[in-house]
Order: sequence, then structure tokens, then C-alpha cells
Amino acid sequence: MVQVVFDKVRKAFGDTVTIPGLDLVIESGEFVSLLGPSGCGKSTTLRMLAGLEQPSGGRISIGGRDVANLPPAERDIAMVFQSYALYPHMTVAENIRYPLRKRGVPKPEQATRLAEVAALLQLEPLLDRKPRQLSGGQQQRVALGRALVRDPSVFLLDEPLSNLDAALRAHMRAELIELHRRLGKTMVYVTHDQLEAMTMSTRIAVMKDGVLQQFAPPAEIYDRPANRFVAGFIGTPSMALAEATLLRDGGGARLQIGAMMIDLPGRHAAAAPCAVTVGIRPEDIVVGQGPWQALVRLVEPTGHETIVALEAGDLALTARIPGGPRLHAGETVAFDVNRARLHLFAADDGHRLALDITDTTPPRSA
Amino acid sequence: MTNRQRPALIASLVTWPLVLLIAFPLLWMLLTSVKPQAELFTTPPDFLPNAITFEHYRRVLEETAFLQYFRNSLVVAVSTTLLVVVVAVLGAYSLVRFAYRGRELLASLVLFTYLLPSVVLISPLYLMLVKLGLANTLASLVAAYTSFALPYALWLLRSFMAGIPEDLEAAAMVDGASRMGAFVDVVLPQALPGIISTALFSFILAWNEYLYALVLVNSDEARPLTTGVMTMLISAFNIEWSLLMAASVMMSVPLIVIFAFFQKYLTSGFGAGGVKG
Amino acid sequence: MAEAALPGARLERRDALLGLALIAPTVLVLGAVIVYPLLSAIYLSLFSLYTPTLEGHWVGLANYRAVFGSGGFWSALATTAVWTVGTLTLQVLFGLAMALLLHQNILFRSLARSLVLFPYFLSTVVAVLVWRWLFNDLYGVVNHALMAAGIIDAPVSWLGTMPNAMLSIIVVGAWKFFPFVVIAILARLQTIPEALYEAARIDGAGPVSRFFDITLPQLRDVLTIVILLRTVWDFKEFDLIYLMTGGGPVNGTRTLPLIVYQQAFGLNQMGLAAAHAVAMMLVMLVFMLAYLRRAGGRVA
Repeated sequence: MVQVVFDKVRKAFGDTVTIPGLDLVIESGEFVSLLGPSGCGKSTTLRMLAGLEQPSGGRISIGGRDVANLPPAERDIAMVFQSYALYPHMTVAENIRYPLRKRGVPKPEQATRLAEVAALLQLEPLLDRKPRQLSGGQQQRVALGRALVRDPSVFLLDEPLSNLDAALRAHMRAELIELHRRLGKTMVYVTHDQLEAMTMSTRIAVMKDGVLQQFAPPAEIYDRPANRFVAGFIGTPSMALAEATLLRDGGGARLQIGAMMIDLPGRHAAAAPCAVTVGIRPEDIVVGQGPWQALVRLVEPTGHETIVALEAGDLALTARIPGGPRLHAGETVAFDVNRARLHLFAADDGHRLALDITDTTPPRSA
Repeated sequence: MTNRQRPALIASLVTWPLVLLIAFPLLWMLLTSVKPQAELFTTPPDFLPNAITFEHYRRVLEETAFLQYFRNSLVVAVSTTLLVVVVAVLGAYSLVRFAYRGRELLASLVLFTYLLPSVVLISPLYLMLVKLGLANTLASLVAAYTSFALPYALWLLRSFMAGIPEDLEAAAMVDGASRMGAFVDVVLPQALPGIISTALFSFILAWNEYLYALVLVNSDEARPLTTGVMTMLISAFNIEWSLLMAASVMMSVPLIVIFAFFQKYLTSGFGAGGVKG
Repeated sequence: MAEAALPGARLERRDALLGLALIAPTVLVLGAVIVYPLLSAIYLSLFSLYTPTLEGHWVGLANYRAVFGSGGFWSALATTAVWTVGTLTLQVLFGLAMALLLHQNILFRSLARSLVLFPYFLSTVVAVLVWRWLFNDLYGVVNHALMAAGIIDAPVSWLGTMPNAMLSIIVVGAWKFFPFVVIAILARLQTIPEALYEAARIDGAGPVSRFFDITLPQLRDVLTIVILLRTVWDFKEFDLIYLMTGGGPVNGTRTLPLIVYQQAFGLNQMGLAAAHAVAMMLVMLVFMLAYLRRAGGRVA
């Protein structure tokens, strides 16, 4: 049982507070992604977990053990670095054996473990090479091998795929998912790439400015973003966000977005009237029929679907429609929105309004 | 600027005469050292010797204290290099990777001493070494040479070590190494070219030093080559140029060896040390 | 002390202690061979001290009055300035030209580079011996060559008369130290992206304007640093001048470092020598600070 706990962990560099107070409990065997824009504190969080940086306050424990005063070597972790950090003067085999050597694993066992890992990652033909003789993808696999060889209780991965090209990245994503399934180890994965986080994680911790925004499984993050930031950050193309007003209309409620009026189920009336931010995902816009008209600004066919930028008065929307382009820039089309999948956020602090619509529908399966 | 494939003929024709002009004094030194004494004083001088003789080399080795000076220089230069490299490797690593109060100040001080004129330090160093009873010893020279070789070495190594990715040490520590273990396993091998370069520079600086040797040593037992060879010049009644040129050639042998085999370390150290900052 | 309040405090303290332990030898050695002598130089400059017996007494600022009041210091300063400006100009011009030539794809380029760089690594003692032989009044190659070329009619005393002696040390200084400029500029030239020249060519720039519009601006930073560094190093040069001319004829080539040495170990006035040294440092400080600002900005 290797639970990783961040308890009010704080990090400040001099007077600059980068992480004001992080609470996070990662369960044993989970694959958790720390996701956020650069500078959000995700890497610092990982490095504190590794022991490479010391928190300015709070407590970190791994498997119930407070690791505050444990150097990285004694935390029973393995880490894959964004730069891979392969030791340039050692061969691939020496690189992979290094963690075993440092822990005094007997020579014959070193050889067995090396052989296992090399087979797993198809590194056999590369074992005698130096890192600089390897391609980016091969270096990445060696870095992974060095982490895997030791069977640690927690794996830390710091943007391990960001230096690979697109095709290789997709391939390695699949391998990592498979690896996690097979090993069942706790993995903490830092990334700024939401596709990686969405496809691989059991849960995603979305961070911004050192503050945890939401910690939930990918589907929930997508279907029920906890606040305006998460809503805008997750999803490509991103969710359209617009200022709107929630009004009372007899027994029911209406949402006014510019000139548009949308009727909502009656229970929303309780909060009305109030200012809100409404979020509409591209796939929740129906183009070609509906009560409103919009100007087509831009049509981007991607093959299996088409992204259409629409303009309805002051409101800018992005729609995702299946198939090839049937529309042309400059024409006017009718459109509708899927009322059941609108997202409402408080206008002031941006938190998700509990009474909003999707609460009544079960989360879509991802 | 030029077509990389084809040798630039015109540039070669301009450059090579200049290169030969620059190299001429050294060539002349070599030629003079193997000419019979009589050939030195022909007018106009013959470029190539009519007869080659190694008589002057024999005389320098057998009739002067040259070998003693050579041994002294070697001992002093090697000791200085060892001392300076060990101290500077640790110091530079500390300056690059650790945070503590006064670190910036220390780095600036190192850079400052790198510019300090020897003549400012010479009198107090002389007084200090006399007081310690080290005057006229090889140890006094090692101490004095450290005063310019150490700042140089620190500056050079600091720049080399700053270029080693910190992730490598982080990886080593995660993999089970202690901080010093990571230093030994990862930083030292990575800094090796820089260490070699620093060692060569320290050696050359110490080998070539003149002023401290002039002031601190006045006995043949501890005299290094630089002042020793000049003593040969001064003590002789009439200057025997053949002997001096032969001594000069032999004195330059270690430098020629270093230059022939390790030139890339010298040029890389150059960039790291003085100019790039 | 019991468990510290901060998490990881013990780890951090251990780290900090390790950093201090590693720097300790450096601090000790630098303190012993630089900081202490430097401070005592300033202290000594307030004494009248007889070198052979090391006996002396406090004289306050009298040494400085002597330094600035006598003509010796000022004429040595002027001599130092002439030497520095002269040899530095030759070093930079010749070094720049040579670097540009050696950057071309010439025949046997690496051999040419080695030959050009070697004088810099040669011992000054050897350089001086060779050049004194070349400059020899009667049998020196320099006189023979110049006479053969018809530039002079009779042998010239290169080191025994002025301004020949100054000219000679300037030339030898340039020969010995210009490789420094070559290495620095060559290294920089190799990092100028080829695309800049290609773009300039497309924009219609000829070789001359490519040099002035691209090469020279790209070299500006390294030239500034090199000039500052060499100014300091030429200014404090002792070995070469002392061994070439001993400061003579008369005091024609007696620069500041030579005066310091002469006072301390020739005239046995160690206090006065220290005052000269400190005064010399004050003059140099301008260039040192300029260099520290350019290069030291990158310390952090």
C-alpha cells in the first residue's frame, strides 16, 4: 500500500510563494497526472516529492512514511526526467544498472534485472552504446528502463514524452498505459499536454499558480470542470466561455447570453437573478438547425470532423461537426446548443455552480 | 563566408607567409641551437646550418645546472597543478551548485584576483614566506604560484561545471547516490575535459613563471628553469647564444608536448576561462 | 537540537554544510596567498621598510606623498600607457586580421593555427632570449634583414637606444600575446550563423559590407572583453619588459610594475614599493571594474 500524501505543502523561493498550500492524496497504484500551464508548480511539486527540493512547510509522506528528512536516495522512488538525464559517459547497460549498483544489488541479479528490462523495452541491441549514439526515442526508453529496473514503490515522470515527435509520443503513451497496467505501481506524471493526461491517468490534478484546481478522473474533469479555468484549459478546441445572466422567468429560469435567451429547468430559478459565465463545448453546438443565426468565420476541416468558428452577435463560438466541410466562411447558419450540457460558473470567482444542468445527467463516458 | 569545400588559394597565399613570419623566431631558435658556434657570426648569416651539431645540448646538460633547474621546475609545476586542481574542483563545484551567503562575493573576488598584478602581492608574499622559513624552497614557489593559478583554475572550472546539466546529479541521487556520490559518479566524469584543460593551464602558468622565482629563490637548489636559464645568461662573460638557444629549446619541450597532444583542451579552456566570462 | 520546525530542514542544513565544506579549502588558500598579502601590501605602504633587515617604522601617508610628488611615478605611468596602448593596438589589429584569415578554408589550416597560437604558451623567458638574439646589434637577423632590404644602412641598436627599445618591446609583446586575440575571435567567428551571411548575400551585400554589417557587429562583445582583459594584463606585464630591457635605456622603458620591483628589491624600500603598487592598482581599477562588470555580470 503506497499512498502518496501532500499535506498543506508549501513552497516559497525567498519572498515568492510558488505553492501556497497543496493537499493531495494519491492512492496506491494510481496513475496521477499533474497538469497545468508552465509555471503552475507541477514540476516543483514532483521535485519536492523526489526530495530534490525541500518544501517550505507542510508534510509529504510516501507509504505512510514522512519523507521530510529523507534524501532522494532513501525515498524508494524512481524518476524519468524530461531531459532523460542519461549519464553520457556510461553505456546504456551501465546507465540501467547504475541504480542497482548504488543499492548494492549483487552482480548476477543486476544482470538478470538488466536483461528483463532490456527485453521489456526492446533495448537489447543498444546495450553497449553511449547515450549520444541513440535517437530521442531510444534515449527515452533507456531513461524508462533505468527507472523500471529497480522496482521502486513510486514512479515519478517529469514530462518524459515532450521531446519526442508526435508519432513516437502516441506510441509511448500506449506503452506507458500498458506498463502501468502490468506493474500496478503508483505513478505521478507531470505534463502540460492534456491529451497525455486524459489518455493515461486514473486521475488528473489540474494546477494553476501553485493551487490545485481540480483532482478527479479524466471524464469528470472533462464533463464537470470544477471552475472556469479547468473548463477553458481542458478540451481542444477549448470550450467557449461567455458572460451571461441567469434570470427568473415565472417558475423557471432563463439564461441570457447577449441577445440569446435559453430556457432552463425550473430549479435554476433558486439562484436567479445572478451574473454567470456559461461554457459551451464545441461538440454541444448543433449547426444547421435551431433558433439562432450565426456567421461562419472560419472552417477548419481535419478529415473526420470539421471545426467551425461562429459569430453570433458578440458571442464567439467554436463548433465541432462530424465529417467534411459542408459550410463556407461568410455564410450564415442556424444553430442550437445542447441545453443539458451547458456549464455554468459563478461570474465572480469562477467556481462551478452546483445547481447547474449537467448535475442531472450522468457523466458521459469518455 | 567562403566556399567550405574548396581550399581558398588566395587566402592561403596571404596567410602562410604571415604564419611563417610568426613562426620564424622559433625556427631560428632551433636552427641556432644546432649550428656550430662559428656559423653564428657569419655576415650575412646562413639560414640553414652547414653542419648540424648537438654539442650545445651536451654542454648545457653536462656543464650547467640545467637538469637541476628542470627537475625543480617539474616538481613545482606538478605540485602546483595537483594542489590547484584538487582545491579548485571542489571549490568550483560549491560555487556552481550550492547556495550560501557570500557566494556571489566570492565569485567576484576570484574574478578580481584573476586580474591582480603579481607585483602587488610580491613583497607581502616574500615577507610571509621568509617569516615561515620557506624562503629559497620549492614550497615557497608552490605557495606563490597558487596565488595566480588558483583563481584561474576556479574561473575555468566554474564555467565548465556550469555547463553540466543539473538533472544528471538529480537523476543520480534519485537512483541511490548521495550528494557526493553523484559528484563522483556524474560530475567528475563530465567535468573531465575541463579538469584536464585546467591542469594543463596551471602547469603551463607555473612552468613559465618568472617574477616570483626571481624574488623568492636565489640558490640553485630551488631555482626553476626560468630564472635558472637567465642566470646562465648573466653569469657568462660573453653571451653564448648557442647554449641559450639549446636551453630554450629543451625548456620548451614540455610545452611542445602539451601543445602537440592536448591543443584542443587548451583552446577550449581559453573560451571558458578568459573571454566568455 | 530537536526536530527542526521546517520539513526537510535537516536535509537542507546538511546540504548547506557540504557546500561550505567544499569551498573551505578555496577560501583558506585564497585568504593565505591573496587576501592577506593584498591587505598587508596596503598596510606596508604606510611604513618605511628596509628590505634586507625587514626593519621599519610607521610613516603614515609619507610614502604616497613621495610617490605622487616625484616625477618617477608619473613618467612610469606615461611609459606604461605608451607600452600598453602600443602593444595592445598591434595585438588587436593583427589578431583580428589573423583570426579572419585562419577562419578561411586555407591549406593546412590546423597546422597554421598551431604555429600562430604557440608563442602565447611559450615561456616569456624563452621568447625574450630568442628575440634578444634576433635583435643582436652585430649578428642579429633583424639588422641583417633590414639592411638587405635597404631600409637601414648600418646596424641599429634595438634595445640600447630610445625609441627603439620601446618599439622593440611593443613588437615582442604583440608577437607573444596576439594569439590570445586570435583564439578568442576565432572561437566567436565559428558561432556566427552562416544564415546571416546568406541573408546578406541575398540582400545584395558584397564582401566588404558583409564584414562591416555582420562580422564586426557580431564580434563587438568579444572584442570588448578581450580588449579590457588584455589592457589589464599588458598594463601589469613585468617579465617581458624586465627581461628585454630591464627598464632601460636609462628609464626609457621603466613601466610601473618595474618601478615596484626596483623599489622593493633594488633600492630595498619595501614600504615605498608597496605604495607604488597600491597607486598602480588604483590606476588599473578602472579597467578591472569595467571588466568585472562585463564578465562578472555572468557570474550569477
